[in-house]
Amino acid sequence: MIVEPRTAPPEFPSEAPTAEEEKTLYGLMAEFEEHDQLLEAARRAYAAGYRRMDAFSPFPIEELAEALGRDYTPVPLITLLGGMAGGLGGYFMEWYSMARLYPFNIGGRPHNSWPNFIPITFELTILIASLSAFVAVLVLNRLPRLNHPVFNVPEFRRASIDRFFLCIEMQDPKFDREDTWRFLESLEPISVAEVWDE
Amino acid sequence: MNGGLKSDLQIEGAKFPSAMAPALHARINRFQLIFLIIGLIALGFTVLGAFVERRQFFFSYLFGCLFWLGLSLGCFLVTMIHELTGGRWGYPTRRFLEAGFMALPLMLLLFIPVFFGLRQLYPWARPEDLASDEILQKLRGYQNSGAYIARAVICLGIWSWMAWSLRRWSLQQDATTDAAPTRKARTLSGPGIVIYGLLGTVAYVDWIMSLEKHWYSTMFAVIVIIGQILVAYAFTVIWLTLLRNEEPISAVVSKSQYHQLGNLMLAFVLFWTYVSFGQLLIIYSGDEPHELSWYLHRIAGDWKWVIAALGLFHFFLPFYLLLFRAVKKHVVPVTILAAILFVVHIIEIYWQVMPAFHQGGLAVSWLDFTAPIGIGGLWLAFFLSRLKAAPLLPQHDPGLQFAFRYGH
Repeated sequence: MIVEPRTAPPEFPSEAPTAEEEKTLYGLMAEFEEHDQLLEAARRAYAAGYRRMDAFSPFPIEELAEALGRDYTPVPLITLLGGMAGGLGGYFMEWYSMARLYPFNIGGRPHNSWPNFIPITFELTILIASLSAFVAVLVLNRLPRLNHPVFNVPEFRRASIDRFFLCIEMQDPKFDREDTWRFLESLEPISVAEVWDE
Repeated sequence: MNGGLKSDLQIEGAKFPSAMAPALHARINRFQLIFLIIGLIALGFTVLGAFVERRQFFFSYLFGCLFWLGLSLGCFLVTMIHELTGGRWGYPTRRFLEAGFMALPLMLLLFIPVFFGLRQLYPWARPEDLASDEILQKLRGYQNSGAYIARAVICLGIWSWMAWSLRRWSLQQDATTDAAPTRKARTLSGPGIVIYGLLGTVAYVDWIMSLEKHWYSTMFAVIVIIGQILVAYAFTVIWLTLLRNEEPISAVVSKSQYHQLGNLMLAFVLFWTYVSFGQLLIIYSGDEPHELSWYLHRIAGDWKWVIAALGLFHFFLPFYLLLFRAVKKHVVPVTILAAILFVVHIIEIYWQVMPAFHQGGLAVSWLDFTAPIGIGGLWLAFFLSRLKAAPLLPQHDPGLQFAFRYGH
C-alpha cells in the first residue's frame, strides 16, 4: 500500500502505522533537482555518519559511488578470477587437444605452438571475465527483482526522468525517524518522503 | 584528497592567468639551459663516434631520431584526437602536446644526418647488396636514395606545416572569444589523422621496415603509430604531474584527468599489444622465409631478453595495474607507470631498429646512449622554449567551460 509522502515532518509517534497494516518503515528519502545537489547530499550524509543509504539518478554520476562511501565491491575480484579461469581453461583446452589428445604436425611447428593458442586464450579470458562481471553485478544487486520499497513513493517515477533521490535506510544504526528527517530537510531537497515496505 | 588535488571543479567564467608565474618561468629557463647543454655535449660525443664507429653511429642516430620524432608525432596525433573528441583530460595537457609537436621542425633539421648514412643503414642503398639481389633491383624505382630523401622531406614538411597551423589557431583562440580558430583546427584534425596515417605508412616503410631486406608487414606502420600515441600520453601524464602544483594548472587538475589519462594509456597499451602480437601471429602462421627475417634477427642472442622486458613492461605490468581504478586516480602510481612506459618505449624503438645491424644478438654501444640523449636534450630544450611561449592553459576554448562544468 502507498503512503502519501509529505513535506512537513510527521508527528511522532501518532502517525506510526498500526501493526494491523503490516507495514514497516524502509527509510526516508529526499528528492533533489540537480545532480550536484544529490552528490553534495550524499557526501554530507556520509560525513554525518550514515552508511546504509542509496542514491538514485536518471543517469550515471561518476563520483556518486565514492560519495556514498562504496569504496569496496567484490566485482573486480570476481571478474579477475573469471578471466583467469577463462584464460587458463582456454589454453588448457587447446594444449590438451593439440599436444596430448591428437598431436598433429602443422608445418613443422611444435605441438604446443603457443602463439597460435593466444587468440582463443585471449577471447575466453574476455568472455568469461565479462560474463562473471555481468552475473556478479546481477547477483550482488539482488536482481532480477521486480519490486523495491522506493517504488511506493509516487515521486520516485521521476528518478528515471529528471529527479535525484537519496534514501537513508532504517537499517542504518544511526537512523532515527525524527533526526534523520530533519537531517534530510537540512539538505534543502524539494521534498522528503517516508518509504514504506509492504 | 589525493596529493592535494580537488575531486570536483567549479569554474564559472574562469579566466586563467595568461602569463606564467615568474618563479616557474625562471625554473623553466634554467632547465632549458641544462637540457641544451646536456644535449650539445652528448651530441658532440655522438659526432665523434661518427669517425670511430661509422655504421654504429648511423644506427644509433636513427634510433635516437625515431624516438624523439615519434614523441613529437604522438603529441601531434593526440592533439588532433582531442580536437575531435573533446574531454577533460585534453585541456590541462594541451600546451604540453603543442610544445611537443612544435619540435617537429627541429626534428626535420635533425633528421638530415640520416640522409648521409643511407648506405650504412639500408640494404637497398648498398651497391654490394644490390648487385646480388634481384628483388632489391626490381624495387629500385621506389627504393633509392633520392626518393627516400624526397619522401622524408615531404612527410616531415607536411606534418610540420599541419602542426604549425594547429598551434597558430590555438594561440589565436587565446586572444579571441570567437570560436573560429577552434573550428579551423577541428576541420584540419579530421582529415589530418587520415593524412598522418597514410604518410606515416610511407615514412615507416622507408625509415624502419626497409632496414630488413625484403621484409614487409602491413601492420607495421600501425604498431609504430600506436606506440607514438602511447608515449605521448605517458609524456603528458609526467608533465601534468611535474606542474600540477603550479598556477594555473593547479586550478584545473583533478583526479578525473588522471583517471581518464590512465584509461587512455590502458587502451593504447592494449592496442599496442594487439597489433604487435597480431603481426607476430600472422608471420608465425605464414612461415615464409622473407617475412621471418625480422623476427629471427630480433630474437637472436640476448635480444630475446629485450622481448621479455617489452612483454613485461610494455604490456603486462601497465595493463594489469591500469585496470585498477585506485591506480588511475592516484597521482604517484599513474605517473610511475607513465615513466615506465616512456622508458620502455625507448627500448621498443631500439629493438625495432638495432637488430638490423646487430643481427646476432644484443650489443649495446656507448653511442646508443649519447645519440638519444643528445637529440633528446635539444628536443626538451626546444619543448620548454615552446611551453613558456604561451599561457599554460588554452584561454577560450569553447569546449573548456562546458567540459569542466558537466564533463566527466
